[in-house]
Amino acid sequence: MNTLHPKIAEVLTQTFKVPAEDIRPDSTMDSLEMDSLAVAEFAVIIKEHLGVDADADKLYKDATLAEISAFIGGAAMSGRR
Amino acid sequence: MTQVDMSVAVTGMGMVTPAGADEETFWAGLCAGRSTARRQDELAGLPVDFACAVEGLDLDEAVGGRSVWRMARFVKLALIAARQAVADAGLSPAEWDGGRVGVVLGVGVGGVSVLIDGARKLDARGPDAVSPLLVPMMIPNAAAGEVAIALGARGPSMAPATACASGAGAIALGRDLLATGQCDVVVAGGAEAVLTPLVVTAFARMGALSRRTADPAGASRPFAADRDGFVIGEGAAVVVLERTADVRARGGRSRALLAGTGSTTDAYHPTAPGPNGTVAQAAVAAAVHQAGWRPDEVGHVNAHGTSTPLNDAMEAGLISRLFPHRPPVTAPKGVVGHTLAAAGAIEAVATVLTLERGVIPPIANLDALPFDYDLDCVTKEPRVQQVETAVSHSFGFGGHNVALAFRRA
Repeated sequence: MNTLHPKIAEVLTQTFKVPAEDIRPDSTMDSLEMDSLAVAEFAVIIKEHLGVDADADKLYKDATLAEISAFIGGAAMSGRR
Repeated sequence: MTQVDMSVAVTGMGMVTPAGADEETFWAGLCAGRSTARRQDELAGLPVDFACAVEGLDLDEAVGGRSVWRMARFVKLALIAARQAVADAGLSPAEWDGGRVGVVLGVGVGGVSVLIDGARKLDARGPDAVSPLLVPMMIPNAAAGEVAIALGARGPSMAPATACASGAGAIALGRDLLATGQCDVVVAGGAEAVLTPLVVTAFARMGALSRRTADPAGASRPFAADRDGFVIGEGAAVVVLERTADVRARGGRSRALLAGTGSTTDAYHPTAPGPNGTVAQAAVAAAVHQAGWRPDEVGHVNAHGTSTPLNDAMEAGLISRLFPHRPPVTAPKGVVGHTLAAAGAIEAVATVLTLERGVIPPIANLDALPFDYDLDCVTKEPRVQQVETAVSHSFGFGGHNVALAFRRA
């Protein structure tokens, strides 16, 4: 999977100041230096904008951005969770 | 009494104010004597729609790094000012022993806009919309905590919340931490950023703010007969304090000596100053006494001067009783408004600059001193006058009184 959900890159770069060049499908929140508070806040923002509910620790903390993108894309398409 | 070295110097200063976010711009703004108050879009339609805001500075860019998302505005202001102060002192967090560095940052209110935003989201969209960062972002000690992280300062850290005396109280506490040997370096000051519709309206409802909505720039007029309240502002200022012996040993530069501090509490009323200002006067007298001066040796007063009818009458009486020799008086709130917890720190920085430069900035919007006190207020133009000693007053809701006594280095 080469294309990430556009909201992921937008939130990571604009809110969390992650350098755009670091945002790759195989990046993880850990590799992007997103600590647990940042990941929790990321989940709130994704929920706010896309309506996707997720347990940040379970679904985002250790996943790759490709996996997160697939989850967000699927959840958003199936009308939330 | 234990023998302690009570001689403490200001070795670095940083400030982010409505008049400027660097020393030269800030000083030029004070000396110009023009108010920075103007209408704010966010306050449109409210009973008081003007304030003194920090403008023209991209706070996120100035803070830099990856952590700005978790910082409320007052924390960003504090961090920018703290970094300026440490750099000005010629110190480097990469080189100092962080265990000997303290941080004392006074904040009166904290991240109230974070709280309001969270309350609205909870009401509108439920618990899942509430940021997990709400509490760590809004607590007043977030400024001290983030500054300690940024500077690797692992000594004592504190966040005095004594309203408009917080910034001066923090500097006084910083001196105590040095004098008692708990720290070798203290980063001390105050920060506040509450120019939100709720807080501004609340201050307006209690009658504390000027209602001069047709003339915002003329609204903050400390000691003027027709003053009608303060103009709310935002900002931060931070000083680096060290024992003078340590400054000499490292070949550093003392910008001024913090010769004494004094603190008292009115124990009278939640918001009104105590009758006749006698308890506030005791704080000023204590600072002068600790400095080892007679009152008639005080060369300059940097007044709290909020432009409220009650404060300025109380303070004018205090000054004329304690200092009948008429030292020149200024009041920076005419220019920068009342920045609440930041005010005492901003005024401490202004006082040090007056001692260094031999110039006393004028009080904005004060044409003449019309009431019954015999004060030598500096008006209209900066006054070139080398003073050797100065006191700065801060008084806060809750009855907190703090005075700082500075001597020229």
